[in-house]
Amino acid sequence: MGKNILVVDDSESIREVVSFTLENEGYEVKLGNDGKDALKHLNGDPIDLVITDLHMPEMDGIELIKEIRNKDQYQRVPILFLTTESQASKKQEAKDAGATGWIVKPFVPAKLLAALKKVMR
Amino acid sequence: MDNFKQKFQEEATENLAELEEALLKLEQSPQDSDLIERVFRYMHSLKGGGAMFGFNQLSEFTHHLENVYDQVREGNMQVNQGLLDLTLDAVDHLKVLLHQGDEMSDETQTRHKNLDIQIRKYLQEKQQEPETPQNSNQRQDKTKTFYIYFEPEERLFDNGTNPLFLMDELANLGQAYVMPCLDRIPRLDQLDPQKCYTHWEVVLVTDETEDAIHDVFIFVEDQARIDIHRLSQGNLLENSVFAQFLEQNYRKDQLIGLDAIKYVAQHQESVQPEAHTSQSRDASSGKSGNQGTGGQQNQGKDTGNQKPASPKANGGGKKEDAISSIRVESEKIDHMMNLVSELVTTQARLSLHADQSEDNELEAIAENVQKLTRQLRDNAFDIALVPVETMITRFNRLVRDLSNSLGKKVRLKTEGTETELDKNIIETLTDPLLHILRNCIDHGIETPEERRRAGKPEEGTIMLKAYYSGASVHIQVHDDGKGLDAEKIKQKAVKQKLISPEASLSQKELFDLIFTPGFSTSTNVTDVSGRGVGMDVVKRNLAEIRGEVEIDSEPGTGTTLTVKLPLTLSIIDGLLVQISDNKYVIPLSAVHKIYAANHSDVVDKFNNLIVLDGERIPFFYLRKEFDMPEAESQTEEIVVVQYEGNRIGLVVDTVIGEYQAVLKSLGKMYKYQDMISGATILGDGTVALVMDTNKMIDRFTSDYQQQINVES
Repeated sequence: MGKNILVVDDSESIREVVSFTLENEGYEVKLGNDGKDALKHLNGDPIDLVITDLHMPEMDGIELIKEIRNKDQYQRVPILFLTTESQASKKQEAKDAGATGWIVKPFVPAKLLAALKKVMR
Repeated sequence: MDNFKQKFQEEATENLAELEEALLKLEQSPQDSDLIERVFRYMHSLKGGGAMFGFNQLSEFTHHLENVYDQVREGNMQVNQGLLDLTLDAVDHLKVLLHQGDEMSDETQTRHKNLDIQIRKYLQEKQQEPETPQNSNQRQDKTKTFYIYFEPEERLFDNGTNPLFLMDELANLGQAYVMPCLDRIPRLDQLDPQKCYTHWEVVLVTDETEDAIHDVFIFVEDQARIDIHRLSQGNLLENSVFAQFLEQNYRKDQLIGLDAIKYVAQHQESVQPEAHTSQSRDASSGKSGNQGTGGQQNQGKDTGNQKPASPKANGGGKKEDAISSIRVESEKIDHMMNLVSELVTTQARLSLHADQSEDNELEAIAENVQKLTRQLRDNAFDIALVPVETMITRFNRLVRDLSNSLGKKVRLKTEGTETELDKNIIETLTDPLLHILRNCIDHGIETPEERRRAGKPEEGTIMLKAYYSGASVHIQVHDDGKGLDAEKIKQKAVKQKLISPEASLSQKELFDLIFTPGFSTSTNVTDVSGRGVGMDVVKRNLAEIRGEVEIDSEPGTGTTLTVKLPLTLSIIDGLLVQISDNKYVIPLSAVHKIYAANHSDVVDKFNNLIVLDGERIPFFYLRKEFDMPEAESQTEEIVVVQYEGNRIGLVVDTVIGEYQAVLKSLGKMYKYQDMISGATILGDGTVALVMDTNKMIDRFTSDYQQQINVES
């Protein structure tokens, strides 16, 4: 049974690239356009990993991470966020919110998978 | 990756449009932190996407821009006109970059450098972007042995971290001997399963650098004590004495400690390693994590009870969530619309044939097909609808650039931009609207000085309003400028020989002259709206999409242009009616109610009024209007339609029923009539004409008016 990964990014191309990469690896991918949109997947469905961007309209990544950590079922789900090197403070903020790790943009599929392997098997 | 590239380009184009829009709004309210955040976010997406899809120049360029706005966001810098101008120029440049990719033309390159320098100026005194040291990939060939101590905080699990995965990853770097220490696990009744009590000692043999080991723990660096020490060159785990030492001294409840291990390691180094037997190797490798997960089994069992919340593989009940939106080439939609139109026509034939066949089964099927076709049609239409909003950014930019170059202050306000229209209409509509706006700014809005003198605020306002009105969408452009001068229009029209000097025209008729070919009121030709393309072109362009334009103006207070557009172009829901031997379609959206009427009530009435539901309603006897003989039957039907807020009855012989009409153009021979908006092919192959009730009633009314004028 494939693991379920929720990918949240407001950029369609990023979503596509990430989901393409993940699906090739046999994961089940669910997509969210932004934090608010992503919440619809957090309705009791099994989620094994969340990959989210930080800058998004409606609800940003930090908010989403907090929301996820507030839900009993998803309290321990690993969360990776996408970031750029210039955002050291954001990184800390996201970790404080409960994120597990991060992936530095730009990334190639191998890098994405490497980060993923750190937090999910 | 390449197929994603195109998608990125499409997306980035949208992104840029939104960025542009946000920037224009920012100009209005430079303090709005939401807007700054949005601007920042768009730039951020562009940068990230650009780098991912090979637009390195674009990405780098945006990076500097983003840095500037980061400063703005942090409050270290203020948004000012200069910055906005520069950013908008940069947005234009980004559009070019997006198109050209990394292979820039010479011209672009020069521009690129110039803009980049300007942007960097803004950042000059700000600190340089700290370059994060990336893992130096100098791989040393030599195998080394490390001692690693990993002691996470108790609340490690809160972040969703599974330390076992880290151990696993460590093991993947080479050969690892993992020794979890469980001494801190409290008694079961005091144990909080949400906490991590375990700490680990690992002896790792790897070819990788110390950096690579640090990288394993990169996510938990701030949540754990991580000590990494190099014990020796070479593979200590292959040394039987060292391996035995670990095996014998490992206790679940006690650390061996760096000192002890170090001592043994050093001791071993000084002594020539004994030739170890293959048996002892095998014994140790049972515990040491080789490549893969096998070596983790011990720890897995030991720590298992602490990790009830580890992600579980999902069981059944897996729900497929569809992608929330997709991007489709517009040609595909056009093609689909065509097919749907054909299907609707064919379905009409099927329905008719089924009716005549007296085959119940067939009729049922035909009915179902009809229902499905209708749904399919509505769905297809819905797909092709685009909000008016998509045009607005272009308008904002035009208003901004044009008013600046003319030295006027103009602000574009919009309302109802979520109103949706067929994308083909939107495409055709953009140019006429741009022209209308140009006119507003050039001729309508006065200079700040003139406005001050007239007692108006210096800044002129153009209001663009879109709203549904029955079956059509109205787009209203109102400016609060000086309005139209009817007298000046008249003089001009006389000079242009468009009307005779004696003609007496109402104000509205005078205004309408603006739409006559060869008319342009501007006294001095500017390069803005005086390029020979007049409002007549606007009118003609709009007519192509069955749109109309009306003008109204109040001298001194402004001008209002209203563009009326049909919702869709190709298929309408209609009411099929019969008059004599001919069939007509009345757009269902205009139909209010249908009544039966006695022949005597509708023929030869003096004032053409009939009382329906206690209300007096004017009507037209269509046979008469169409120059046909009176009907012989005793009852006829009145279709009451909506006309400019009033209700008007149209008397027809019989109402046949609802009908989906696929509009076909009548061809250029008939383009000068406007009462009929098209024709449709019925199921039996005959043609029904589609009435444009508004225009028709317009015409009838003015005919009567003339009649009255003649008679009086």
